[in-house]
Amino acid sequence: MKEQIKSWLEQGTVDVFLGYREVDHHPIPWCFTQEAIEEVDDLVVSPARYSLEKIATHMAAEDPDIRIGMLARDCNNRALNVLYVWNQLRPEQVVTVEANCCPSPLKEHADCSYLEPGTVGAYKKAVGIDNHLRLEAVEAYGPEEGRNRWMYEFQKCIKCYGCRNICPVCFCRECSLDHDDLVGTGPLLPDIPIFHLVRAVHMAGRCIDCGLCEDACPMDIPLRLLYQKVNRIAMDLFDYRTGTSGDQPPFSILGDRVTLEPKPIQPVTGAEA
Amino acid sequence: MECKLVPSVCSYCGTGCGVLFEVINNKIVGTLPMKTHPVNEGKLCIKGWNLHEHVNSILRLKQPLVKTFGRFMKTDWDEAIQLTADRFKEIIAKHGPDSIGVLVSAKITNEENYLAQKLARAVIGTNNVDHCARL
Amino acid sequence: MTIKRITFLQELLGLFGLQERVHLAWISSAEAQKFVEVVTAFTEKIKSLGPNPLPAYRDAPRAALAAAAH
Repeated sequence: MKEQIKSWLEQGTVDVFLGYREVDHHPIPWCFTQEAIEEVDDLVVSPARYSLEKIATHMAAEDPDIRIGMLARDCNNRALNVLYVWNQLRPEQVVTVEANCCPSPLKEHADCSYLEPGTVGAYKKAVGIDNHLRLEAVEAYGPEEGRNRWMYEFQKCIKCYGCRNICPVCFCRECSLDHDDLVGTGPLLPDIPIFHLVRAVHMAGRCIDCGLCEDACPMDIPLRLLYQKVNRIAMDLFDYRTGTSGDQPPFSILGDRVTLEPKPIQPVTGAEA
Repeated sequence: MECKLVPSVCSYCGTGCGVLFEVINNKIVGTLPMKTHPVNEGKLCIKGWNLHEHVNSILRLKQPLVKTFGRFMKTDWDEAIQLTADRFKEIIAKHGPDSIGVLVSAKITNEENYLAQKLARAVIGTNNVDHCARL
Repeated sequence: MTIKRITFLQELLGLFGLQERVHLAWISSAEAQKFVEVVTAFTEKIKSLGPNPLPAYRDAPRAALAAAAH
């Protein structure tokens, strides 16, 4: 792998190569270049994941013609696909080296921080949502219990914007969550659940399920499950598979023929209040 | 194109979260939490996430200012320190050393805190030393 | 486009049991009768559903969650 990267840099196939290098025992993202080609010997595949593609978009914003090589796991590849769809990067300017990802019978060894989830306490399991549950289990809570559990999770929010900042597919210059009229600055508990749902809605057809937001959340809100839900809806309603599809998400296409019909007003079922 | 991620420590409070500054073409463009840092384990608060903003802010104080006739005037460090020392001497001579208090901070290192209390006790001659963590 | 977004929103609000509080109907400016029917039916529906449970969580999260636990 290192020889391949070296030859890419030497031959000018790529201007920079994004990988990881250990600095004071911390694996951190490192930008390898032709000028310091000997550094490639120190390249590591770190278990700690950073959003390399986000750094790549920042570089491409500075120099649109730059050619970037990248160490990519499955989640990085999905993010790259989404960034191509949204014209943040061009497929012809990015070359990837595949890195080992989630474990499977075919791949025993995996290099990914998400594989060692933190422990979930008894209280969170009882009143909140266990971050390691499957989406089906969360949906099975039903409307009232589900609402209580989600609201318990949301009311912990300290509005750090970490979920948005770390997100590899969040690139908008103007963000609804920064808009003074939509989300005021100041009061600590943001408008729940609107704050989280606004972000969730924007993640439909965009979230690549990398789990970095949940990793970065200081309050351990099960954001990954929330965004899995919006992607599930996008898949069920519009048959759109985020990260693998080369088309624009269903919400950004005007004039597309749809077979959906407005739902009739259902009589109140009684149990729901 | 030069791109570097520079490890550092958040300067906002005494917790000491590990951060990475994203530097592109010698300009800090972003802050990331350091995933492997034992203190914050890949998490940051809103202040930490926006660390890079004050570095490039036009409002950033880059040199000492002295208030003369009600207005702040730019000066150099030698003059500023000399002026501070002179005023301290004046105050100590007039009101005694206990008229001066020293406030230290969790944002600076233990060693710097030690030096600050040493300055207060040995040079100024007061025990009025306090710290933001002594709540 | 609208129907895509509204259907999506109804599905998402289903997570909180609020999907029935969003309704979409196509009414042209010439269909006054239909407008009255839809608005009346939806108003009645909302009245019978009662107030939105969500503001309680925002205004007094601990109390609302404690009440929900009992």
